[in-house]
Amino acid sequence: MLLAASVPEDVFRALLQGLPPGTVYALVALGFVLTYKTSGVFNFAFGAQAYVSAAMYFKAREVWGWDIAPALILAVFVLAPALGLVLERLIFSHLRTATQVARLVVALGLTVAIPYLFDVLAKFETVLGRTPTGIVPDGAIVFYDPFGVYAFSRNELVAMVVAVIGMVLLGLIFRYSSIGLRMRAVVESPRMTELNGVYADRVSAFSWALSSLFAGMAGVLIAPTFNTLAPLEFFNLVVVAIAAAAVGRLVSPPLALAGGLGLGAFISLFDTFLPRWSDDYSFLVPIQDNLTPAIPFVVLFGVLVLSPGIGRSREITDPLSGVDPPPPSLAAETRSPTLTRATRVFGAVFFLIAGLVVFTRADAEWMFLVTQTVILSIIFLSITVITGMAGQISLCQGAFAAIGGFTVFQLADRYELSVLAAALIGALIAAGVAAALSLPVRRIGGIWVAIATLAFAYFFDAVMVKFTWVGGNSLLQGTRVPRPVVGPWDFADDRAFLVLAVVVLVAASFAVIRIRQGTIGQTLQAVRGSELAAQSIGISLGHARLVAFAVSGFLAGLGGALLSVHQENVNYPSNFAPFAALFWLVVVVTLGSRTVEGAVQAAAAFGLFEAVILKGAIFEWLFRGSSGLTESLTVSPSWRFILFGLGTIQYARHPEGLVEHGKRQAARRTEAFAAWRRRRHDDPEPAGVES
Amino acid sequence: MTAALQATGIRKTFSGIVALDDLDLTIEDGERVGLIGPNGAGKTTFFNCVLGVLRPDAGTVELRGDDVSNLRVHRRAQRGIGRTFQRIELFAELTVREHLLIAERTRRGDGRLWKDLLGRGKPRAEELERCDEVLSLLGLDGVATEPIEHLSLGKGRLVEVGRALMTQPSILLLDEPSSGLDRQETADLARTLREVQADQGFAILLVEHDVEFVADFTERAYVLDFGCMIAQGPTAEVLQSDVVRTAYLGNVDAAS
Repeated sequence: MLLAASVPEDVFRALLQGLPPGTVYALVALGFVLTYKTSGVFNFAFGAQAYVSAAMYFKAREVWGWDIAPALILAVFVLAPALGLVLERLIFSHLRTATQVARLVVALGLTVAIPYLFDVLAKFETVLGRTPTGIVPDGAIVFYDPFGVYAFSRNELVAMVVAVIGMVLLGLIFRYSSIGLRMRAVVESPRMTELNGVYADRVSAFSWALSSLFAGMAGVLIAPTFNTLAPLEFFNLVVVAIAAAAVGRLVSPPLALAGGLGLGAFISLFDTFLPRWSDDYSFLVPIQDNLTPAIPFVVLFGVLVLSPGIGRSREITDPLSGVDPPPPSLAAETRSPTLTRATRVFGAVFFLIAGLVVFTRADAEWMFLVTQTVILSIIFLSITVITGMAGQISLCQGAFAAIGGFTVFQLADRYELSVLAAALIGALIAAGVAAALSLPVRRIGGIWVAIATLAFAYFFDAVMVKFTWVGGNSLLQGTRVPRPVVGPWDFADDRAFLVLAVVVLVAASFAVIRIRQGTIGQTLQAVRGSELAAQSIGISLGHARLVAFAVSGFLAGLGGALLSVHQENVNYPSNFAPFAALFWLVVVVTLGSRTVEGAVQAAAAFGLFEAVILKGAIFEWLFRGSSGLTESLTVSPSWRFILFGLGTIQYARHPEGLVEHGKRQAARRTEAFAAWRRRRHDDPEPAGVES
Repeated sequence: MTAALQATGIRKTFSGIVALDDLDLTIEDGERVGLIGPNGAGKTTFFNCVLGVLRPDAGTVELRGDDVSNLRVHRRAQRGIGRTFQRIELFAELTVREHLLIAERTRRGDGRLWKDLLGRGKPRAEELERCDEVLSLLGLDGVATEPIEHLSLGKGRLVEVGRALMTQPSILLLDEPSSGLDRQETADLARTLREVQADQGFAILLVEHDVEFVADFTERAYVLDFGCMIAQGPTAEVLQSDVVRTAYLGNVDAAS
């Protein structure tokens, strides 16, 4: 640490230094609050919207060579509001009466889908290491030093000025314009507002266009602070902005602004004045080095857990929500037993044949993909438990799975423990961590659990992984994991390992089904149905949530451990990083988070979709390997993200998932067909189905 | 003998506004007591303070002599407070019988993870028997296996009562049970409640604004207005008293 001339000067410099990133946080937080306040959508996709404008601006400037003004108009004032309108018209206007959690899931899906969709449509390619330019000439190289302690770049100054202007305009619109008042009313209850003669659709469209404009502006202004223009950076930024917005409980623009500036200043002060303990205690080095980037997540978690107001701010319930029909029950409960049995037999036969084909015919690559699918199914079952059964959105399943993987690596590496025993221990540790995590979030509801778990995932990613006792010594050595040998079976053989994975999956599925049908499952069902009523009969919400988290953590940890053993490496960044794990949730929720089949099908989709559909394996098989054809049919792997991301839209309409929805449709049709045949044959027996 | 429920000196303010002003209320075992008052009188706030949904600023709540003032909602439920809801709160996708089963399981604290994993989570014969007993008491045996979504509002209220009964409450708090029901359904509900109470012997606190229902159903009544207890005593007398008429109808003499 430099011996500073004086403490006040240090403080002043730190504050000035914190100002530019602070305004950036504030800008995004502001846009985020705007979306939340005017549409009630917890818009994770805000980052994706910002990315689209930033990328458009980048493309127009760098590739097409446009001037600043037309590029800015196209990216921010045309494309951004248009994107907002499209999102509102095509998606969110249909979801206005959906639950907040459902809308959150859709926003998560869009977060995944929008950037890839833009890249494909606009033929945009990420250029590594090329810093985007700002909206003023020489923004990054001209500096101003008004106080003689810290020099602002021109970009930073422009961002600050724009943020202030945006803030003032927003305040004026909300306070003094009639559209502002109507926007606030539509959030409360669109149906009530319509009863009072306000056309909710138009108001909503306006607020989406406006907030999207904000996102686009923020994106273009922020882009120059990144080395490379990539969607991930924007997503990370949104997480930071949520921390700033959470200070104002997501609804207060002035507080969000203050939160953003405060966060910037706090980080900067923290950096300046934190004593270098790590000079004396080397084991603290990872904390010291990574605490600064982790501060937003620590703050976010702290605000969520400690702020009493947020804990109690449950979902805003629409006063007219009582008019909605209740959700339909699982297809298996309503369809006739014969049909259920037939479906089961068919499923078993299908899996048996598919398994046999893979087992005898598959080459190494397919073997790898199928085994990975089986192991992913185990991890996805953890989402079935936490989201499907307990109704909570957890965004840190990747961290739980990573705990399993790292435990296997550490125990095998240091103590040469059998990896299978280590996998069990890893699963137990993950269960313990999950249970501990459920304690601070036990009283906060709905979307807040999602945000808190996301903060934990990022904290794990930024700090925990860096410890040698978690993530290993160095990047060079990697995190290698051996395959186990048990008695006569050597699981280094891929076939043997596949059998092991299938056995574990069957056991896990069995356990999940038993839990769902048992007391725990019914208790969770009761809590999902009505927290209030569940408490009134003596159910402890905290305990119910703890059990759900622990079981889910165990399954994720077990799956993560197996995945590491299978790949013979933990491969943390590609397997378990927060954004990667976010996509898991999107896929599982799209296909069905309520059932075991849903999890397995989601894993198959996640693992095999690319190979089977996008790379054209299915066409190759259909047309008997005319390679010219398959090459022309190969589709960009981005489509995997786009399709599943957009698939979450279905979640809001059919929260049971696509698989379950399809099953219900099929059951209805089959029964209708059966009834029709009975009538034709003048069967004297009464039809089993009431219609 | 200690009272089934004794609330003493309950006081609650919301940012300076006094919602409840040192309220006392006592209910003996097996009694049927009404709590009435005009809209905004503080009935629901008081109710929530007794249940533990809200924490009063001062005052104690005792159940059969046990101080439960510092316990959370589910702990109080375990100690013997059962309740129903004004806006019906049922568990989506569970059948009528499952509603009762889950309450029974919770009462016995019988929901261990390992039991579920070993397949011992299925309902046992004596549990089913107890559920069916309560179901037939409430006249719900015909719909035991129906999903809850198929029931009418009146039946739904009975399911709420049944669910509360499974916890073997010493006192049952009914929050405006007549709201959303027509006259006939209300009368049916009152009759069923009376029969069940005679059978099981718990006390009832009825929060209600349907004065006729209260007059018909309860023995004693408390009247709340602007957070103060303005009258208490035998229901018939209370409803005739001048203070109560003034509170409900306004000052008739002054107006005329």
